[in-house]
Amino acid sequence: MEISIGQTQGKARWPALIIRVISILYVLVMIFIPLVVIFQDGFRQGISEFWHQITLPIARHAILLTLWTSALMTVINAVMGVITAYVFVRYEFPGKRLLNAIVDLPLAIPTLVTGVMLVMLYGPQETLGRFLSEKIGLNIIFAPPGIVISLLFISFPFVVRAIQPVLQDLDLEQERAAATLGAKPCVIFRRIVLPALIVPVLSGSLLSFSRAVGEFGAVVIVAGNIPLKTQTAAVYVLGAVESENQLGASAISIVLIAISLLVLIIANTLHKHWGVHR
Amino acid sequence: MKKRQVLLGLFLVLLMLTSCNNQEESGNEEEVKLILGAYTTPREAYRQIIPLFQNEWYEKTGQRVVFEESYLGSGAQSRAVVNGFEADVVALSLEADVNRIQEVGLISHDWKDGSYGGIVTTSIVSFAVREGNPKGIGNWVDLTQSGLEILTPNPNTSGGAMWNILGLYGAALRGQVDGVPGDDADAAFEFLCDVLGNVSVMDKAARDSILNFEKGIGDLAITYENEVLVGQQIGQAYELIIPTSTILIQNPLAIVDTSVDKHGTREVAEAFVNFLYSTEAQEIYAQHGLRVVNAEVAAAYEDQYPPVDDLFTADYFGGWNAIMTDIFGEEGIYTRAILQVQGATQ
Amino acid sequence: MKATKITWSAWGLIAITVLYMGFLIIAPVATLIQGAFQNGVNALWQSLQAPALRQSLWLSLQIALLVVIIQAVFGSLIAWVIVRQNFKGKWILNGILDIPFAISPVVVGYMLLLLFGRNGLLSPALDLFNIRVAFAIPGMFLATLFVCLPFMIREMVPVIQNLDRQQEFAAETLGATSWTIFSRIIFPQIKSALIYGMTLTLARALGEFGAVLVIGGGVQGRTETTTLYIFRALEERRTTDAYTASILLGSFSVLIVFLADWFKRWQTRKSQQSVG
Repeated sequence: MEISIGQTQGKARWPALIIRVISILYVLVMIFIPLVVIFQDGFRQGISEFWHQITLPIARHAILLTLWTSALMTVINAVMGVITAYVFVRYEFPGKRLLNAIVDLPLAIPTLVTGVMLVMLYGPQETLGRFLSEKIGLNIIFAPPGIVISLLFISFPFVVRAIQPVLQDLDLEQERAAATLGAKPCVIFRRIVLPALIVPVLSGSLLSFSRAVGEFGAVVIVAGNIPLKTQTAAVYVLGAVESENQLGASAISIVLIAISLLVLIIANTLHKHWGVHR
Repeated sequence: MKKRQVLLGLFLVLLMLTSCNNQEESGNEEEVKLILGAYTTPREAYRQIIPLFQNEWYEKTGQRVVFEESYLGSGAQSRAVVNGFEADVVALSLEADVNRIQEVGLISHDWKDGSYGGIVTTSIVSFAVREGNPKGIGNWVDLTQSGLEILTPNPNTSGGAMWNILGLYGAALRGQVDGVPGDDADAAFEFLCDVLGNVSVMDKAARDSILNFEKGIGDLAITYENEVLVGQQIGQAYELIIPTSTILIQNPLAIVDTSVDKHGTREVAEAFVNFLYSTEAQEIYAQHGLRVVNAEVAAAYEDQYPPVDDLFTADYFGGWNAIMTDIFGEEGIYTRAILQVQGATQ
Repeated sequence: MKATKITWSAWGLIAITVLYMGFLIIAPVATLIQGAFQNGVNALWQSLQAPALRQSLWLSLQIALLVVIIQAVFGSLIAWVIVRQNFKGKWILNGILDIPFAISPVVVGYMLLLLFGRNGLLSPALDLFNIRVAFAIPGMFLATLFVCLPFMIREMVPVIQNLDRQQEFAAETLGATSWTIFSRIIFPQIKSALIYGMTLTLARALGEFGAVLVIGGGVQGRTETTTLYIFRALEERRTTDAYTASILLGSFSVLIVFLADWFKRWQTRKSQQSVG
């Protein structure tokens, strides 16, 4: 029996329908059901108990710590991402190809390994770690700076890779024209380059933020997980799971999921309304 | 043409992968699998004991025993078993963690029934300090020094942490801490708060705690004596300080009935448990910093394990059931203390 | 595209970039490599031969490969549905799909525990069929499957969007079967994206840690993936083992990602040549 893909009417609908059903079922089973389970568990004793769990001093601190370290990281990442992408797209210099390839390194390296590397480099017993701690009083490992640095490492590719294609496609002619008309480089940057970059920067940043909020592997090694000092929400959940605080685990998990969902919705809306290619 | 090749390739790969998975489940007469769920600290000891047992079992029955071991904080391990981890034998840090497994029906025999009351090793709560003891730590009272950074694990997941709190609080209650009157619950509570206020890192388990100490965090770690001794054995430069009054840590050992019945490993499991009480195994425990229950071996290692001036046990608090409620329960002494301390530092 | 002239400010920016990447990425990686060699090449070699390491590598690989295959199939299907089909509620599907990317791995493991643990929702059914999911390999497989979901789809969607529908219609009118259309027209165009997506999925699956820790328990000899092996090695103070395994895992992942990247660029160059 000859069946065509393109036709949407008549006898040819069923293969399309089948893959649609399979897809929906797959997503339902894989994503939807676990989410429902955790939501139902978190609220199983009612909203007031849920609220109580997430406003416990330790939980609240964990959530806030997670949010501010991720936010700080996102800002730094956005700035450095723009600079890095700009440098790679606009300039040629020895070693650029290699450096460009290195940008993707964090994507490939397991997060646990990231944490291990950072402790090896900045740990209190290492030369660099001791120097920073004694001379500047800056503790990196087992302190919030370590969290921010590990998040920066992991998220580095996101903004860079979101911006690069946009920059590349940007009409160089516009910039040249503006230059010949006497516009200074920073004006060109502000008026022509930056507006084009806003959406990819935002979307890359939102992506890296939502990724950072849930980060576990690197943070658990680097942060020391001290309640009320360096314990992020994800690590709090692990502690709750291991100490059978089921309600706490579910409640904080729900908060994390909600944050991620919110950020993703914002990012997706940006994509749709400004229609930028990835 | 391509389609068939691709499908065939996929099918073969899947077949290979799934068959590799099934290998472990094959009921091999020459091989039996035993699953051990333990707390973090004695792993080095088990690494040596297990091969000995494997040899002995092989000589006796011609059967090979393959071990699968898991080492987590005692509380975490206990809950893992309750949640579905099918350990055949559990060797945990404290009685309450075994009781938890018993309460959900996974252990159906009286595990305390036996010449050693189900306790396979013991230790004491002690301190690890930096080489040269720069902070001059001698006893519990020194832990309230201002600016001192203490490491102790989190009682929510770590058995060792619970023992630490009990040692701390018990010594105070017994009047063994300078400046804290005996039998004064309020004074002891304040002392507990003072020490907790100095805690800088609370790890998931005892092993994590001492590792952080080795990485340069903190001035002092409250931990098992055996944890410190094992570290020293492999070259760590810290010193062991034993307070004048401390609690005897008693580590239980039990067979998980539902697991051994399901896996058909009861015979091996019982043999393993018996082996752990034997002179051979107890000797290895002793070599890894543990105070043993076997009288013969204990006598031989007397010099290494000095007696403690004032040694008390969990019974001082009325047993583990009372401890879980009075000290670590929702209104428990520790729970209130940590909230008070953390509320103060916010 | 020609590069602009390099001015002082340009050099400044380049310097900032190089320094930043040096401190952030290169320095830690270099430290790791140096740390593995700290006790000499012999110790490194010994580490590589540890049977537990091999077991963990084998387990990681098994799980990862299976995940890659399944995601290749389902990911492509879902991407197809998203691009080519319109139905009520499609926006919900689209929205949900990115979730696994953002959810904390610990939460993933925990969700599976709620479903498959001893007191879990599905445990009666599991007991009936005597299947173990929690603290066993199937659980770890599911967890890895979950976290890898978006990768394939995100790679495939743009490529399917760009498919040349003219060719498809032409083939259809000429009477070609769906299979022919797929294998002769569609597949060649999506091939490189498929491979790239599979590679990213493989790298991600191999590196999964938090989720498999929670659902698997890290039982030596049974549920220990390479990431969990590293974690345990750190706990047992076997630092050379930990660093060696880290480098092994890291290098492999990096290698395949770079290879896939190079392959992708090679494919784009090829198609540009045939078009231009």
